[in-house]
Amino acid sequence: MLTRGEHERYNRQIIIKEIGEEGQERLKSAKVLIAGVGGLGSPVAINLAAAGVGVIRLVDHDRVDLSNLNRQVLHWNEDIGRKKVDSALEKLRKLNPDIKIKAIGETIDDSNVSQIVDDSDLIVDAMDNLAARYLLNKCAIEKNIPFFHGAVRGFEGRVMTVIPGETACLRCMYRGPVPAEIFPVIGVAPAVIGAIQATEVIKFIVGSGYLLTNRLLVYDGLKLKFTEFKLKKNPDCDL
Amino acid sequence: MSIEIYIHTSQVELTDGLEVVEVDGKTVSECLDHLIEHFPGMEKGLFKKKGELHPFVEIYINLETVYPDELNKPVKDGDKIHIILMLAGG
Repeated sequence: MLTRGEHERYNRQIIIKEIGEEGQERLKSAKVLIAGVGGLGSPVAINLAAAGVGVIRLVDHDRVDLSNLNRQVLHWNEDIGRKKVDSALEKLRKLNPDIKIKAIGETIDDSNVSQIVDDSDLIVDAMDNLAARYLLNKCAIEKNIPFFHGAVRGFEGRVMTVIPGETACLRCMYRGPVPAEIFPVIGVAPAVIGAIQATEVIKFIVGSGYLLTNRLLVYDGLKLKFTEFKLKKNPDCDL
Repeated sequence: MSIEIYIHTSQVELTDGLEVVEVDGKTVSECLDHLIEHFPGMEKGLFKKKGELHPFVEIYINLETVYPDELNKPVKDGDKIHIILMLAGG
């Protein structure tokens, strides 16, 4: 049941017919893990907290650095040196005190990924490296948890949604290890891609619209152009 | 035979600024060979070694995935090949 305050807070989205009161209650009951609270994780977390997702778990081992502030909009100058999850948690609680937010300041690796993911309905991939992305993707498939992938570089980004067992996953596209890099990026790219990831999460929870499943959406900010590529499950995928 | 190859934004500097290059070929591999004949710099941009694409290079034909074994996939007149690059940043 929504409280009177929640009715008022979410009124503008409750009156969207694809959401309604039932959709809002679903959002309130949802538990979403956001892996990475940087450039992508910031807009994802802000939008999901504002929309009233009932439980948000934030995972990030990193601390706020001055070079993060061009894009990681949950972290401000005064947060430099703080754990990103603590900085994010503080802002999100001020944005929406009605939801539960948990901060997990750990590095996601083989030893803890299962425990971190457990009890989450959905996983948002907002990581900054492929190794962690593949690890989360694998765990999502094994635990049958929908997985919302986003990635950026420069003015560009890409998004896809994975429904385990049904649609193409990150591993279906795996072509071998890619060297890590300090990637160039401007904040508007993760702002666009993170907002799309959050849109997918909200659509999935309320059960409306068409998901980016078996579809890879590529955004080119320099041309201001979206291109959609059709994907399919790879029969050789090892997941 | 005329196939259009759509070059990734970050690689147009290797094709003299061309975003779309027309090539001939019966397979993706032949089309890429033709592309490299005209723009030799694309070889390093696409291939890790002879016959093996960089793991961050993705090939689509007519906006559909052709992975795995994409180099051997047949193409026909009018097809469009998109080259895009894997992204990892967040």
